[in-house]
Amino acid sequence: MLVVRYLFLTVAILVLSATLLGHSLRSQMEAMSVQNGNWQTTVNAGSADAGTMLRAAVALGGLLASTREDSVYYIVETVNGEPLRLDCDYVLRGGDYDADWWSVTAYAWDNYLIPNDYKRYSYNNENLIRDADGRWEIQVSVNKQPGNWLPTGPAASANWHKFSAKDFDLLLRLYAPGQEYLDKPASASLPQIHKVGCS
Amino acid sequence: MSILRSAAVVLLCAGVGQYLLAMATPRLIMEALHRTVGERYGHNTLNVAHTPDASSRDVVRPSPDLIYGVCAYDLTDGPVAISADVPRRYWSMQFYQMNTNNFAGFTNKRGGETGAGETFKVTLVGPAHRATDHSGTVVRSPTDRGVMLLRASAIGDSDITRTAVQRSTCEAVGKQDQGVKS
Repeated sequence: MLVVRYLFLTVAILVLSATLLGHSLRSQMEAMSVQNGNWQTTVNAGSADAGTMLRAAVALGGLLASTREDSVYYIVETVNGEPLRLDCDYVLRGGDYDADWWSVTAYAWDNYLIPNDYKRYSYNNENLIRDADGRWEIQVSVNKQPGNWLPTGPAASANWHKFSAKDFDLLLRLYAPGQEYLDKPASASLPQIHKVGCS
Repeated sequence: MSILRSAAVVLLCAGVGQYLLAMATPRLIMEALHRTVGERYGHNTLNVAHTPDASSRDVVRPSPDLIYGVCAYDLTDGPVAISADVPRRYWSMQFYQMNTNNFAGFTNKRGGETGAGETFKVTLVGPAHRATDHSGTVVRSPTDRGVMLLRASAIGDSDITRTAVQRSTCEAVGKQDQGVKS
């Protein structure tokens, strides 16, 4: 009887610890992230001064992240507070950014690249189709679109594993970024995302 | 009373437990990565991965615009020598200890430590080794084990960059010396 009681207590402690950890990770990430429009960036992923909770969150969602001096990552998971969804189409518009190179990659909610027949997972500063002024737009949609198109899903992982409100997200990588991204992450120049419509 | 006491114990332990779990998580994930890479390719050896696609599952959020070379190192038996051909495009060499800290890194951009066309050599030593025994660039790993990651831009003519990354090596110093003698 005593054994059963201790077993029950241990399981209860483990379950509650994991639940509390999940909650703490979310709130810590929010506290340590900087918002720039719909984009978010974390100011010390990968560095030695990352706290216990941030290090755990990075290990789960972005293992082997570089320091900000090497690369800056911005993620968009929501547009005007609404999580990115497969039944909505979005458009990303931009120009050029101060970095040695940059790319925009779509990831499914499971943190992996999204399966598609075209093996189209990302665009970078050299392979985007641009207008005469160097401006570009990417159609972000499940369905094939003319011009620059990033497929959004569905994910390869089974849906019952899904643990987030978003169906996918977009990650902007800026490698060897300019000083603006290190000093003013909340106001540095970034592409703009808009919702086109939902089915 | 007993139920109240039990509930208090559960709450207290869970409060502390979340921090223990948070501390353990990066180490557990790095252990899994170190073991997977070690079992598949061996320790102290560089593996250059194929261009990431939807089937890539070793690391979360791989970039299809990067060429990755990974070396799961183990310095228990002595230092590891790393030699890397530096391409013209963006290139970096990053070192991660077992709690995921990015404790050292080099790049060829923005006033970085090395330039295109050079062969960049690093001696990686463990926490107990004397760094003065080695010439050139010496990196001291805070833990005996860890991961070295080469990243190179796959933009443009990626074949040239990929060849440079594939020519790079990560080997135990003794093994490297034997290779020279034979």
